[in-house]
Amino acid sequence: MTTDDQASDVARYAAAVRAAVSDLPRHQSEALLEDLEDHLREIAAEAGAPLTERLGPPEQYAQELRAAYGAESGKVQREPALGYLQRALGSVTSSAWYQQLRAFLPELRPAWWVLRAYLVVLILTAALSPGYNLHPIPNPFSSRGLLETLATIGAVLFSIRLGRRSHPLPPGRRRLAIGANVVIALLALPVLASMGTFPSFAMVESGAPEQSSDFASPFSLGGVTNVFPYSNDGKPLTDVLLYDQEGRPLTLARDPGRMTDYPIGADGQPITNAYPLNQRRLDGTPDLQPRVAIPPWPAATLPASPTASPTPSPAR
Amino acid sequence: MGQPELDTSQLLKGVLDLAVLAVLAEADSYGYDVVRRLRENGLDHVGDASVYGTLRRLFQAGALNSYVVPSDEGPHRKYYGLNPRGRKALDQSAHAWASFSKALNHLLNGRSNGHDH
Repeated sequence: MTTDDQASDVARYAAAVRAAVSDLPRHQSEALLEDLEDHLREIAAEAGAPLTERLGPPEQYAQELRAAYGAESGKVQREPALGYLQRALGSVTSSAWYQQLRAFLPELRPAWWVLRAYLVVLILTAALSPGYNLHPIPNPFSSRGLLETLATIGAVLFSIRLGRRSHPLPPGRRRLAIGANVVIALLALPVLASMGTFPSFAMVESGAPEQSSDFASPFSLGGVTNVFPYSNDGKPLTDVLLYDQEGRPLTLARDPGRMTDYPIGADGQPITNAYPLNQRRLDGTPDLQPRVAIPPWPAATLPASPTASPTPSPAR
Repeated sequence: MGQPELDTSQLLKGVLDLAVLAVLAEADSYGYDVVRRLRENGLDHVGDASVYGTLRRLFQAGALNSYVVPSDEGPHRKYYGLNPRGRKALDQSAHAWASFSKALNHLLNGRSNGHDH
C-alpha cells in the first residue's frame, strides 16, 4: 500500500466509524474520537494492510469503542431541532469529502505561514503610516518599497520558523497562537479593503462629489466656486471664457450649496467655462454681486470671495 | 465438562482499565503502543478499539494526562500518562483485583484439591 492509499484508507475507515457513532451527543463523540485518525494512521503504518483486515469492519470497531468508552447507545435525549442539526452536522463531518478536506488542510499550513507574514507587514505599514498609498506588491526600487519588501522577506522567514517549530504546543499556548492567527486575519480585512479604494480617494478630495462626464474635468481652487472678471477700468465682465495653459476650458468644481445654470452652446453642450457662472443658492437667498474696490492700475486685482462678505477687502 | 473455555474477552472487559493503568504506570505511552504492550504481556485478545476507547474514557474521567509528541515519519502521537488521580485509581483497582483473584484462586485450589479429573 502506498502512503496515499493508506491516507485514504484511514480517512474512509474513520469516516465510517464516525458515522456509526453519530447518534452520540456531539461532545461525547468528539471526546471519544478526538485523535482517531492519528491512531488509525499508526495502525495502518504498522500493519501495511487495509484497516478492515486488521480491525474488522468499522461498524464493529465503533461498537467495541463505544462499549469500552461506556457511552450510552440509542437512548440519547436532546432537543429535537438541535438533534436534527447535530445529525446534519454529523453527516457532513463524517462524509468522505469532508474527511479528505480535513486531511488536506494541514498541507496548506506553510502557505498560511507565508501569507500571514505578508499580512502582518501590510497591517504594520498601514498602521504606522496612515495615508500612505498601499500597494499589493511594493515597488522595490523606491526606498519605501524596498523597506517593505525586506520587512516582508524577514517576516516570512520568521513566520516559517515559528510555524515549523511550534507544532506540539501545550493547550494554553496553542489557543493563544490560534487566537493570534485569527487576529491577523481579521486585522488584514480592513487593510486589504482600503487598498483597493485608497488611490481614488486620494485623487478626488474636493467638495465635488459627482460631476457628469459631459463637463470638462473640474478643478478645485481653495473653495473658489465662481470667478468674477473685471476689466481694468473696474467694470464687471460677463461671459468671459477661461482656458488653461493647454487650451482646455477651465471648469470649476461644482458648489454643492448652489445651483449653476450653464449657458448652452451651439453644439447643445453646456458651456462650463463662461464666467461669472450664473448661480443660485439652494436655500433661495440670492447671491450678491461682489463689491470690488479696484486698486489703481497696474496693481493686480483679485475679486474677493462672493460668499464671504459683501464688503471684501482687496488682496495685496 | 463440555466446553470449559472461558470467554477471555468477557473477563478482560472488567479488568481492562486496570491493565491499561498498569501499562501506563510503567511508562507513558500512545494508543497503539498500549495495545502492543498489553499483547506482549499475554493479553492476546485485547481489541484495539477497546483499548482506544478505554484510554479516551480514562482521559475524560481525569485519570490521565496527555501530550502530543511529533514524529519525523508517521503521524503525531498522543501520549497518555498517569496523573495522581490515575495512580490512585490504579492502587485501588490493584487492591480490589488482588483480593478478587485471591478469593478465586482459593476457590479454584480448593476445587482442584478436592476432586480431580
